[in-house]
Amino acid sequence: MIRVEGLRKTYRMGNVEVRALDGVTLEVTRGEFVGITGPSGSGKSTLLQLVGLLDEPTAGSISIQGTDVLRLSDDERTLFRLNRIGYIFQDYALVPDLTALENVVLPTLARGATERDGTDRARELLRLVGLGERTDHLPAELSGGEQQRIAIARALVNEPALLLADEPCANLDTRASTRVLDLFASINRELGQTVLMVSHEESHRRYFGRIVRLQDGVIVDDTGTKPSPG
Amino acid sequence: MLERERVAVYLASRSLARGSRTGLLLNVAIISLVFTNMILLPSIISGSVELFNEQTIDYQTSDIQVRPSEGEQYIGRVGTLLETINRVPGVRRASARHAIGATLLARNRSVSVPITALNPRDEVEVTRIHERMKDGEFFSGGERGEILVGQYVAGNEDTRRDLFASLGGVRVGERCTVAFANGVTREYVIKGIYETRSYLADYTALVTWEELESVIGGPVDQATEVLVRTDRAHDPAVVKRGLLEAGVQEEVKTWREAITSTVEDSIETFGIINGISMLVSLVIAVVVIFIVITIKAMNQRRQIAILKAIGIHRGVIIRSYLLQVLVICTLGTIGGLVAVGALEVWFSAHPLVFPDGELVPRFEPAALVENAAWLFLVSLVAGYIPAWRITREKILSAMRAG
Repeated sequence: MIRVEGLRKTYRMGNVEVRALDGVTLEVTRGEFVGITGPSGSGKSTLLQLVGLLDEPTAGSISIQGTDVLRLSDDERTLFRLNRIGYIFQDYALVPDLTALENVVLPTLARGATERDGTDRARELLRLVGLGERTDHLPAELSGGEQQRIAIARALVNEPALLLADEPCANLDTRASTRVLDLFASINRELGQTVLMVSHEESHRRYFGRIVRLQDGVIVDDTGTKPSPG
Repeated sequence: MLERERVAVYLASRSLARGSRTGLLLNVAIISLVFTNMILLPSIISGSVELFNEQTIDYQTSDIQVRPSEGEQYIGRVGTLLETINRVPGVRRASARHAIGATLLARNRSVSVPITALNPRDEVEVTRIHERMKDGEFFSGGERGEILVGQYVAGNEDTRRDLFASLGGVRVGERCTVAFANGVTREYVIKGIYETRSYLADYTALVTWEELESVIGGPVDQATEVLVRTDRAHDPAVVKRGLLEAGVQEEVKTWREAITSTVEDSIETFGIINGISMLVSLVIAVVVIFIVITIKAMNQRRQIAILKAIGIHRGVIIRSYLLQVLVICTLGTIGGLVAVGALEVWFSAHPLVFPDGELVPRFEPAALVENAAWLFLVSLVAGYIPAWRITREKILSAMRAG
């Protein structure tokens, strides 16, 4: 599903060179629920952003579903993200001018669905994440937890093969976090979607089928192939 | 509808509906003013050209002007020629004119102008000088010992107000002495003063054909020009062909052909001024749209990055901005058209007063369409550049910057 080899990412901060990733090699098979953990600055988000085609590595290779994604053009990457990847940002990243429903409908329209079909699918997902009654609200009118659930619905609406979640529960209370993680687990189990989730919460570990621990830009631990809990 | 356009419409409609109303109205107002500005000067120039054309037709050339053949001073056998011309289909009436050089003297002042002899019954059918009597009356036919003078010949008692040498403000009923170029001197009573506001027409004097024959000392069957009025439904160019086919040997010109090259140069100069004005207006439009879209796109850098991150093609995002530009331009153009319509109503009731006439700006549909097309074109280019530039930004850096 995902094959990452020798992945390096170096940033320049003035005259200082920061190695966010320093040779990460990782293979994830279809249907895995992988938790990426590690302390702040360990390179968790960078790894997710690179796999999510939001950034380009300094060196290394990334293959997703057999496609060498680093060889894709900018436009092809955009299409790849639309068709195969659902990305959930820590800060939700919703379009402020669009309502909850419209935020979720948008990717379906971009894939060619009719507005009616897209709306039906979006309503179904918003009901699933518990926001069936607040579909016409703008993001600014919703709480952090509600916004994150919209972001999850948006990430799932095109039924991507790969779901990437960057600390999706960082701004949520325990109850909302549980609801979100239960949702991920059920999607992973029932739809067979591969999930990569960045988290440093100990309480989340029980949801992961596999835990990859990063430190200083390298994988220091990669454990578990146990089935994800339901 | 094409997929990308459909998503662009979806995004643009929401952005416009949920964006700042005040900002949108302000942008629309600016485009309306730019459009009105683009239209106003050309319409004043068009109105000015139209006024000049009307004055040329009504007071100088009528619809068609027949002049002596090249090398000739006069049109001979003019009586027969008038009969021939009046029989040509589309001719309403022809009027023979005979101009003779003269010096007019009154109030101890003298003016040298051509005096034109005419047949009033024919003349009132081909020109409208008789409708422009400032004082006194036009000839009724066959008057002797009377003369009509243009307003600039009559002049003002305060001669500092005169544009040309004048008779110092002579009035109807006063006497003036005329020394003709053939040596004859006569005394006339001023029967009327006409004011057409055409410089060329108002710096002349008129006598009847009978008076001319008296000055010449016998029947006059030659003219310096024949003016021809066509029926309204007939194109002067078509009637001109009819005149030539009827055997008119003299130089025949439609009023448009008779306009001198000086006037054409003036119109060309107006065209250059108009072009410069249009260019300046377009530059204003470009700058406004460029700034508006740049600010909008800069403020929405993060939103643009989000759209790209979830798989929305940057072409869709650019299109959504261009659609917003189109909406702003459309509303601005509609606003401009309303303003232009209001100006048209206003100027119809309150024409611009110039020394050579009352000018009503002429708002031509072709100019409206042309200017609107230019406005849309430059606005799209001005909107495209910042949208293109900002959508090229890397996703993560734009998301962090936002």
